[in-house]
Amino acid sequence: MSLLRRFGGDHPYLTAFTVFELVFLILPSVIILVVSLGSGQIISFPPTELSLKWYTSLLDQPQYVQPFVNSVIVATFCTAISIPIGIVTALGLNRYDIRFEDGIQIYLLLPFTVPLVVSGFIFLIIFGRLGWIGHLWAVGLGLTIINIPFMIWSVASSVNAFDPTLEDAARSLGAEEIQTFFKITLPSLMPGVISGALLMFMLALNEFIVSLIITVTETETLPVAIYGAIRGNISPQIAAVSSVYVLVAIVAIVVADRLVGLERFLHT
Amino acid sequence: MSIREGLRYGSLRAKWRVVDALIAAKERVPFDFDGVSDRFGYALILPGLLLVSFLAVGMVLLAWYSVLTYDTIQIIVYEYTFGNWVKLAETGAFYTVFVRTVLYSAAVTVGCVALAIPYAYLVVRTDRTLFRYLLLFGLFVPFFTGVIIRAYGWLIILGENGLLNWLLGALSLPTASFLGTPVAVLVGLLQYLLPFAVLMLTPAIASIDPDLERAAKNCGASQWQTFRHVVLPLARPGITAATIVSFTICMANYSIPDLLGGGTLSFVANFIYDQVFGTLNYPFAAVLSIALVAVASSFVLVVFKVYGTGTLGAEVDEA
Repeated sequence: MSLLRRFGGDHPYLTAFTVFELVFLILPSVIILVVSLGSGQIISFPPTELSLKWYTSLLDQPQYVQPFVNSVIVATFCTAISIPIGIVTALGLNRYDIRFEDGIQIYLLLPFTVPLVVSGFIFLIIFGRLGWIGHLWAVGLGLTIINIPFMIWSVASSVNAFDPTLEDAARSLGAEEIQTFFKITLPSLMPGVISGALLMFMLALNEFIVSLIITVTETETLPVAIYGAIRGNISPQIAAVSSVYVLVAIVAIVVADRLVGLERFLHT
Repeated sequence: MSIREGLRYGSLRAKWRVVDALIAAKERVPFDFDGVSDRFGYALILPGLLLVSFLAVGMVLLAWYSVLTYDTIQIIVYEYTFGNWVKLAETGAFYTVFVRTVLYSAAVTVGCVALAIPYAYLVVRTDRTLFRYLLLFGLFVPFFTGVIIRAYGWLIILGENGLLNWLLGALSLPTASFLGTPVAVLVGLLQYLLPFAVLMLTPAIASIDPDLERAAKNCGASQWQTFRHVVLPLARPGITAATIVSFTICMANYSIPDLLGGGTLSFVANFIYDQVFGTLNYPFAAVLSIALVAVASSFVLVVFKVYGTGTLGAEVDEA
């Protein structure tokens, strides 16, 4: 009890319980890192000896290299087009008098209300009719559509926090409208834009079910390739590929914390 | 002038050139910007609306597909029929899958929200920086790691030669096969959805004034009583939002029932996928999709009616 109290502060039991939850949450990621360092041909516990051989074996596996490149391209595409769209949508909704604003807000939540598997099916039909299946940018477009509300929310929270009189001040000091936008408005929206962009990038990099439906062999993304490999067998090599994701996630968290602070993500 | 200063000066000059060019271009456009400011707002939201319209148009397309005729050779015949909807009512397998999806989602949602409340509470209230940072880390590592990677992690833990069986063996307890059991699917879904639920809850808990809790304690309430009668009621908007988000995401999940359920515990999403890629029966897949959207949205509407919109509504107002 004294130990509990020392570590848990005001809420000893709550803290103890939450520590269990913490373990539960990170266990699958940690186990992938551990297993990927094993040297045996099959996954077994405890791991016999440590080696990096599964990582070095990845580089001459075209099975994973091309999907990895595809995933990075798709995620970059998503981030690049969602930034301007997120900024103008958030500004338009907050700064201008728009009729049926509530209806438009609900409409913009459509990507969250339509189940992902249904969105994927819809893209399969529409992109198929337009002849877009098989293009990497179409995959990027699909993933942008399903995640765009994250970007809009994120920027909108910055727009809300921004004091519009700063713009008036700039204008009255002689700044032109466009100068005001680039010198005053845009910099103060940056925290929202950065956290939104990071979310868009990470979600697109990890997106699975929509990608599974709308990709073909040439446009296959990494989660789809990993899924295919898991259904085959669960060799430690898959753990090495997957641990790349875990490491990227950790890097993303550190970057997010440095740039805007993790707290910010709690409010989007 | 050093190279560095030169570069900085150069880039600054380039930046101003661009801005000047933009201003010049704007002045040359014969357009009264001040007079149309409200209509300019509509132009700003247009790209976002167009993007989302893919899904709106798609839902209409699905409604249309759902009354077309399926043919094993031509796939789709443009003849109208209600046969697909009749098939929906008659297919027993579909009924089983639908009920399973709803029951599992309900169980996972309850568990998820129950686990998320203490977690979110400590994320907001703990005064230990390191502990708070660890909690945030535990929240965002899974959130930023896709569902496939996490399902794979559970495969390693729950598999025949997995971590859990090794631990059981080390304690000389009987080992078991966990994959393909409801437990595996429930655990996988719970871990998948917990970060979402916590993220929906934290804003609501952060908005509770800590003085209210202190006041309750001063009046003699125990920690549990404070939690039960002060924190829980005030966190209700967050609980509503967490419930809705967990339930709807769970209802639509594909990968966890597929990988951890061993092919015997399919959800509606797996059923739809099999229709699309197995038999290419697009019309029936459209019927199933509409049914899934209808069930998920009617659940959301019922929750909204009974409990209000929660923090989701606040976000809608804010955004």
